Amino acid sequence: MNTREAKEILLLYRGPVDHSDPQFHAALDCAKSDPELGQWLREQTNCYDAIRTKLRAIEPPVGLSEKIVRRRPIPFPRDWSRIGQLAAAILISASVTVLLMKWSEHRHSSVAGAREIVVTGEVLDMTCYIAYNLSGPDHAKCARDCIRSGLPAGIKAQDGKVYLLTGAAGHSINAEVADYAAKTVTIKGRQTVRDGFAQLQVEEIRKL
Amino acid sequence: MSGDLEFENLVKLYYRDLYRFGLSLTGREADAADLTQETFYIWANKGQQLQKAASVKSWLFTTLHREFLKTCRRRNRFSTESIGEGAEGLPNVPADCAERADSRTLLRILGEIAEDFRAPLVLYYMEDLSYKEIADVLALPLGTVQSRIARAKIQLLRRLSETNLPLDQAK
Repeated sequence: MNTREAKEILLLYRGPVDHSDPQFHAALDCAKSDPELGQWLREQTNCYDAIRTKLRAIEPPVGLSEKIVRRRPIPFPRDWSRIGQLAAAILISASVTVLLMKWSEHRHSSVAGAREIVVTGEVLDMTCYIAYNLSGPDHAKCARDCIRSGLPAGIKAQDGKVYLLTGAAGHSINAEVADYAAKTVTIKGRQTVRDGFAQLQVEEIRKL
Repeated sequence: MSGDLEFENLVKLYYRDLYRFGLSLTGREADAADLTQETFYIWANKGQQLQKAASVKSWLFTTLHREFLKTCRRRNRFSTESIGEGAEGLPNVPADCAERADSRTLLRILGEIAEDFRAPLVLYYMEDLSYKEIADVLALPLGTVQSRIARAKIQLLRRLSETNLPLDQAK
């Protein structure tokens, strides 16, 4: 290896960091035995050190590391078993919510505080009865027509108490009770009171 | 919590080196800071899948370099001029010439070197990476990296010696 070849190799030599790199061993041996080459190598490594020191003296702007840490994204854990668990939890939670909503809907559709009773009495056309005190066989036809036309129906119990007859939520009872207008029947149903007014949600009608 | 501490330690350990590498590549402080931030952002999202702790440094430098190349493609503002093969003779630059140049001058001269050659040269000077590691960071063959470093170094030293810095610029 001549001096020029050794220089071409040692041009890349940085000092201790490259000391164990075998590509430099032969050229370094040359530099040991050739004083001129040794001097050139020292100048090269000194020059390398000077440039390295200058470049490494550059400091980043103040606060850069804090900014990086502050703006760190929160990584989403791609753990499929946990994602599966999460999906199952969401599904269960949604199902429970739907069931609760259905139950709540059902609960609100039935009347609060209802209790089952059996009432025997005359079926009334409530409009004529309350407004004009009309009831009984003489008023049967009018009562039947009024109830069929959708006016409220009721029942006057043998103890004189009057109940408004209702069906389940959204279901009119009028068609079922119209034929019993002014007749005495026994109705099984759920009694509630709203604003002091009694009503009976009909479950079963039996004519006496 | 431990993940946060790990991330903070990693930032403390490498953000300076990455910033300097970014600054040498871009020549602009704001761009270097952006590249450094972007590199750690990518690390936080993907880097933790890395199995070998020893590869972290190379991974960070590789990522910063890739992001830099993407920026170059978007902006198309960096020179792609290559350095001629004919490195006529090895320059004899006394160490005091390099000592007289300040960091800013060195960065300016580095900025004049074509990007393909600048990146390996900067890693050669600033980081204690082996040539194999530099080749891995830049995704280049080992021989190509060594050849580019040698040619870029000759150019850097020649420009440095031509700069004729006055002594009062010494830092």
